[in-house]
Amino acid sequence: MRTLSNQNNNRISQNVLALLALSVALFIIFITCLCLGSVHISIPDVADSLFHPNAAGKAAVIIRSIRLPRVLSGLLAGIALSTSGVVLQGVMNNALAGPSTIGVNSGAGFSVMLAYLLLPKVTWAGPVFAFFGALITTFIIFLLAYFGDKSRMTIILAGITVSSFLSAGINLIKTIDNDITINLNSFMMGSLAGVSFSSITLPAVGIIVAFIFAVIMARALNIINLGDDIARSLGVNVNLLRFILLTISSILAGCVVSYAGLLGFVGLIVPHISRKLFGNDARLLIPGSALLGASLVLLCDLIGRVVFSPYELPAGILMSFIGGPFFLYLLLRKKGGRRVNA
Amino acid sequence: MLRYENVTLSCDRTIILENVSVDFPANAITTVIGPNGSGKTTLLQALNGSTTVNSGKIYLDDQDYLSMAPRKRAQILSFLPQVRSTLPTIPVKTLVEHGRFPHLGFSRKMGTEDRKIIENAMKLADVTEYAYQSVDTLSGGVRQRVFLAMQLAQDCDYLVADEPTTYLDLPSQKKIMSIYKELRDAGKTIILVLHDLTQALQISDNIVLVNEQKIIASGKPEALIKSGIIEEVFNLKIKQFEDEEGKYIVVKA
Repeated sequence: MRTLSNQNNNRISQNVLALLALSVALFIIFITCLCLGSVHISIPDVADSLFHPNAAGKAAVIIRSIRLPRVLSGLLAGIALSTSGVVLQGVMNNALAGPSTIGVNSGAGFSVMLAYLLLPKVTWAGPVFAFFGALITTFIIFLLAYFGDKSRMTIILAGITVSSFLSAGINLIKTIDNDITINLNSFMMGSLAGVSFSSITLPAVGIIVAFIFAVIMARALNIINLGDDIARSLGVNVNLLRFILLTISSILAGCVVSYAGLLGFVGLIVPHISRKLFGNDARLLIPGSALLGASLVLLCDLIGRVVFSPYELPAGILMSFIGGPFFLYLLLRKKGGRRVNA
Repeated sequence: MLRYENVTLSCDRTIILENVSVDFPANAITTVIGPNGSGKTTLLQALNGSTTVNSGKIYLDDQDYLSMAPRKRAQILSFLPQVRSTLPTIPVKTLVEHGRFPHLGFSRKMGTEDRKIIENAMKLADVTEYAYQSVDTLSGGVRQRVFLAMQLAQDCDYLVADEPTTYLDLPSQKKIMSIYKELRDAGKTIILVLHDLTQALQISDNIVLVNEQKIIASGKPEALIKSGIIEEVFNLKIKQFEDEEGKYIVVKA
């Protein structure tokens, strides 16, 4: 038993170490994002403008009103989309599921455009519409998967179809109403440009609450992955649990879309990378993916605005450059995707 | 005791078993036997809600089982479905821990008591040495014992298992069966579906015979063999022998 518990401790410390390393990496990226940009600001100046509310000057203004909301919104976007992906992959038992692949993002995006069209002056309309758009799309896809052909490819194909249908809807709205104050290009690609504290307040609350619930429900997510019959035997109300989990993942994805647009592949690739690091236990997978996702979004945003300066590349474009090939690799490595079991 | 009273069961809106009544006595091993497609699995799946109960009542120790909350049920009765071909890619210990799920509070944190039960379950099922291996890498026999360990971790008075020995080699089957016997001797009530007639007749205290979606007989194995009804249903011959080492049941197709 001694060797067994040693092995146990080793594993636990390994995972804790990995989470710690990811946290440190995220922190470094976070600080770097605040320092770098069209104007470089030194770390002491960043600290000064963050911790001294009276600090004035150009640096403080840039940090407080531009970079900090942008970096925080990227942090939340990464956490939310990755967690949403982990939950979706678990509930649908499909390694190819993600907010972008099953059409949830475009569902939310379409609703956001609808909000801009119908309620252009109401600030809360975007996030609220986004959530319901994400939720409705999620359930359409889920019901297709549940009652129709259960094959993994069908779900993805249905997701792509729904996605392109809704993207057409987004374009239609933009064509009808040219006054919509939104940059369609960066909205479709996903971008953090131009976010402000006021535009991310409501989504931030939604993301934080949903993320806490996701962490609490991690063990239940593990159980649902054992299959419906075993989950039922363990006293789980399978359909209720599915409903709750899908709602959580819709809140997460919808909130991000409301301010960052269709930030593609994070929700698909990050859960896969963290599966490699942490295995399939959702209790590790969720925090691991959140840290990794936040780092990745911030990094993509940073590269997008620094490397091509003075031009700015939406974070979503860089994400797709990384995500696209990775998704192809997943498709090629094993036909139809590997079974996910958290 | 677990009792079905005039129960009608359906799967995907097709009625599979109509108006069946049957008793599963406490502190005994009861095995459901019958040809393929006779409704054995459907009969037991009513216990975890995988098949729909259209009418009738199920009583567990005189309590109305169907009106209990799912979590409450899972604290008294554990149902191990047939282990399918797609397997969880998680460590054995994590899987076994899932057995504690119905007993955990909202935060799902495990206490020392839970850990002890998990450790004992793994010991009894003899899977402690595989604790940190991924379930999908194990051989069929070990895998079934791992799921059995999860069922043991659920720590219920009633243990139901659907074909726990199918596709296993003889030593593995024997090992599984000896664990269920041990549990019966410890006062648990065991309900199984088995395909192997010889095994079913040898280890069971009680047999339920299902044919063409009806329960056509139930009782002690001896009595059922004597009545000739098993031979008739399966269209085969059953002979019993005895020597100083014990009893043998031989089935001729």
